[in-house]
Amino acid sequence: MIKDLTIGQFYPAKSLLHRLDPRFKIIILILLLVFIFIADNFLSLALTVAFVLTVLLLSKVPLSMYLKNLKIILPILIFTMLLNLFYITDGTVLFEYWIIKITTGGISRSIFMSARVVLLIIISASLTYTTTPNDLTTAIEKLLSPLKFIGLGGAVHTMSMMMTIALRFIPTLVEETEKIINAQKARGADFESGKLMQRIKAIIPILIPLLISSVRRAYDLAEAMESRCYNGGKNKTSMKQLHIKAGDIISLCVSLLFCASVIVLNLYF
Amino acid sequence: MAFLRVENLTHTYNEKTAYAKDAVSGVSFSAEKGEIIGIIGHTGSGKSTLIEHLNGLLKPNDGQIFIDDVDIWQNPKDIKKYRFRVGLVFQYPEYQLFDETVYDDIAFGPKNMGLNAEEIDIRVKETIKRVGLDFSYLEKSPFDLSGGEKRRVAIAGVLAMNPEIIVFDEPTAGLDPSGRQMVIDIIKNYRDTYNAAVIIVSHSMEDMAVLADKILVMNSGKVAMFDTPQNVFSRNEELKQIGLSVPAVTKVCEILREKGIDLPKSIITVSDAVQHLLKLKQGGGTVD
Amino acid sequence: MENIIEINGLYYSYEDTDNYSAVIENLNLNIKRGSFTVILGHNGSGKSTLAKLLNGLYRPTGGSISVNGMLTSDEDKEFDIKKTVGMVFQNPDNQLVASVVEEDVAFGPENLSIPPDEIRKRVDNALKSVGMFEYKDASPSKLSGGQKQRVAIAGVIAMQPECIVLDEPTAMLDPSGRREVIDTVIKLNKEQGITVILITHFMEEAEKVDRVIVMDDGKILDDGRPEEIFAKVEFLKKCGLDVPQTTELLNELSKNGLNVSSNIISVEDAAEEIAKLF
Repeated sequence: MIKDLTIGQFYPAKSLLHRLDPRFKIIILILLLVFIFIADNFLSLALTVAFVLTVLLLSKVPLSMYLKNLKIILPILIFTMLLNLFYITDGTVLFEYWIIKITTGGISRSIFMSARVVLLIIISASLTYTTTPNDLTTAIEKLLSPLKFIGLGGAVHTMSMMMTIALRFIPTLVEETEKIINAQKARGADFESGKLMQRIKAIIPILIPLLISSVRRAYDLAEAMESRCYNGGKNKTSMKQLHIKAGDIISLCVSLLFCASVIVLNLYF
Repeated sequence: MAFLRVENLTHTYNEKTAYAKDAVSGVSFSAEKGEIIGIIGHTGSGKSTLIEHLNGLLKPNDGQIFIDDVDIWQNPKDIKKYRFRVGLVFQYPEYQLFDETVYDDIAFGPKNMGLNAEEIDIRVKETIKRVGLDFSYLEKSPFDLSGGEKRRVAIAGVLAMNPEIIVFDEPTAGLDPSGRQMVIDIIKNYRDTYNAAVIIVSHSMEDMAVLADKILVMNSGKVAMFDTPQNVFSRNEELKQIGLSVPAVTKVCEILREKGIDLPKSIITVSDAVQHLLKLKQGGGTVD
Repeated sequence: MENIIEINGLYYSYEDTDNYSAVIENLNLNIKRGSFTVILGHNGSGKSTLAKLLNGLYRPTGGSISVNGMLTSDEDKEFDIKKTVGMVFQNPDNQLVASVVEEDVAFGPENLSIPPDEIRKRVDNALKSVGMFEYKDASPSKLSGGQKQRVAIAGVIAMQPECIVLDEPTAMLDPSGRREVIDTVIKLNKEQGITVILITHFMEEAEKVDRVIVMDDGKILDDGRPEEIFAKVEFLKKCGLDVPQTTELLNELSKNGLNVSSNIISVEDAAEEIAKLF
């Protein structure tokens, strides 16, 4: 059932990573994403792999959860590998047949690129697995809050309010969609067979009711929010305060140290 | 053999995962043509899962459903024809209205059945009358109607398929008394005209007492009772234990019985109670 | 001030209707501070419109509503009025904003610029007072209808209103959910002295309240203590209201010449009343 899909894919556990301040997690993630691509020799790549594996272990999220993500991108991964393998022709030629030419350069390039994609996916997943969608929203709003000095405070607030409402209503709408599909199926609607045009037409009996009910919900919600003194976020306070702890600083320092090491390894080896 | 037979029905959600949960297990009951079966049970007792099996929307993990002595899953390719033989009216059905006119919306089911335009026209016109609305409604947009009218048009959309069995999930939820009476009359009228088997899921014990020939009591996915309303509602204590109640008038009679007033256990409607009390008062003796 | 709400000569009509007919017509009503009032009426009787006029969501077309002496037509007082009169709506799914219970309850106080520590206290207390504290980290989509409505009530309580208006809060709930919500509201009225205005079409919910008002066609048809109102069974039925079986039974008996009064709702009292005959 669609209902069982968890949005944002948070994995509840009690780990060091779960406890980290979400703002720091986002900053560290961005650093890592950049340095995954900066690492350009085997030593610095090995260090990056080691670092990402450590993060993975610290998250206390089962390995199978990460593998599930990799399975989805497997076709892209294979494509990247093959493309690099055949397209890059520098280095020693190891194998040649007709137009296919495999070189040492191609092999190393293809290993690098695929390793980067894998690391990218794992490290991004580790953020969503260890941070609730709400914390993510709060953190993004806080990180973007300096934008208010250039007059974009309203936009930042609106964006985070939209994310909050979306998170709140996705399960409701998913459930509602299921109900409407069942109700139309009960009237003999057929969503599974027919030509493309027929299938597109078959969606109308689902889309229209869903649209109408969403509009109704939006009206209701607007009235409820207005009744609770919502005024577009002016002078809004926040119950949840993020406090920077020693662990957050240490994690950031360790990450910076890693970045420095990558640069050193890149330059001197 | 009964027209509709449900035998040993079991449905497990998330089968083969750690979250596996029996929504219904080992449910058996039957319904004859012309009978009204009430299903009661608190939220989460498996009522919704049960009724979604009756027209083949859900496939049982175990057990069978027979209509006219044929297992509906005997030939899975034919399952869609049971959607037309068994009508299913969901809770708040007005939220499934979608077409531009009331006419087109009611015609949706008959069209999917593959009927010709002439037959569809007959069905639509017949059904709109059946739900107490006149032809002037046919060209209106369903979204311009009042809440009660929308409900009736949505019900008409299922009735127009002329199902032999019709299932209603909370058909009167959210309506006021006049709207409720209207829906109850539509259900009874359809049963009488087509001798259809009717199954109603409801929270209103009062409605069930007046309407149902038999009541199926669900608790944690299992059948707790399947009996006449009189017999079901005379088991007040058991019902209370599974979070259900009996009609208020039955409760009043029970207290009166405890006070030594000679009333039978089978009183479930106001008119029943009035009759018995009046006889008792006038005759001063017992009533049969 | 004895009255928290004073309504004088209130008119209201929707601007966009073709036929310019009033939804509310010349309505006069005062609500006493700390009281529990039930407004009964069938769908379309104007009772929901009245609810939305009470906290300034709608503004009167004519006449006036004053809350603690503040006119709802006064735009400068908008937030003071909404802070004083909290609203709970019919559809439990459409009034919760956040995907975590406690964050939803915090929404009102956050809008009122309350400091974080104070919000924390208010949220915890509000959730405790509706019996939902243990669900503070839950997602609203996992709760039952009755639980969602209690969270909505907590969201209002956290703004520390003096009055709560509930617009058919039980219409979409099952019997146990209905009970949960009504019990919660009764408790808030009794223990915290919050003025309650409950709008409904279930007569049962008006059993133990101070005052019952019957509305139809945007007018007040009757106003009195529950036992006075409930004695008029035929009138209530004519207004399209749900008359409980107990009241109905007593009314039928009295129509048949038995000496019983029909202004009773609870099963125990009804049995008591009938037992007197024997």
